[in-house]
Amino acid sequence: MNEEQQLKLQAFLDGELPESEAREVAGWVARDAEATALLGELRNTRQALADFEPGLKLPEPREFYWSKIEREIQRLEPPPRVEETISLFTLLRRLLAPAGAVAVLAIAGLLAINQFQPGPSMEMEVALSDSGSFTYRDQSEGMTVVWLSYPAENQFTDAAVPDTLPQ
Amino acid sequence: MTRKLTSVCLLWICATTFFLAAARTDAAEMKLEAQLVWGTNDSQPLKPKHKAVDADVAAKLKKLPFKWEHYFEIRRKEFTVPEGGERTIEMSGQCQIKVKNLGKSKVEVHLLGRGKPVGRIGQELPKGELLVTGGNAENLTAWFVVLKQID
Repeated sequence: MNEEQQLKLQAFLDGELPESEAREVAGWVARDAEATALLGELRNTRQALADFEPGLKLPEPREFYWSKIEREIQRLEPPPRVEETISLFTLLRRLLAPAGAVAVLAIAGLLAINQFQPGPSMEMEVALSDSGSFTYRDQSEGMTVVWLSYPAENQFTDAAVPDTLPQ
Repeated sequence: MTRKLTSVCLLWICATTFFLAAARTDAAEMKLEAQLVWGTNDSQPLKPKHKAVDADVAAKLKKLPFKWEHYFEIRRKEFTVPEGGERTIEMSGQCQIKVKNLGKSKVEVHLLGRGKPVGRIGQELPKGELLVTGGNAENLTAWFVVLKQID
């Protein structure tokens, strides 16, 4: 008797064979003394195991008990490593996003620094040949005026403004 | 991780270099505008083509303790001066200004009347700032040269 026949007898005993095949095996057992003996041995072994099997009861529902085992197995076994393929776009996004954020912060910082910098020092040097001239500074308007009494009415405007100002 | 950090640093250096270069270019050259302005109480310009000065300049001039109500633009000239360089601008047949770019938005303006030096003014001229030179003209009017930095 080969191994396949032995397994078929075991399946027959466990009631796992289809009906037609089970009838064939029953016929075979009836004809073959060796098969009959093996089937009897298997039946006795199963009976013995059933009698001596301790009647253990799980302290918790069956599904919960097995789920705990499953979780423990998963915890002990590291997940299979998946090779990550990064596209060029993803790579650029990963690089440019932090760089862009840093650049924005830097520009904002520069703008803030410029915003809070003191205004230009309006240090002025005036040297005029006209002793009657004066200088006026309007800080709020951001304007400096240098008024010359000389050479009024002649050198700059050539006397008659309407006729002499260049067109 | 190290490669990422290196890439980010390189990008940052490139961006910084770009901005600094742009700022440097911006600072090296001054773009200026000079206007010859006529102040009068007459509401009509000398000639139809003499238009009223820009509203912002007019508003500033009107806040000065001068008696003139109207300011007309006779001539406007835009020019650039490289850092360390100078430009002479003829505002009228009798009036010239020589502008030196001293760097850091500082200018030195030489006033020339009929080719002779009349005065020299040195000061910072950042954007938004006006440097106004003026004097009396005939018929109770006045002339002004308004110098400012433009974009």
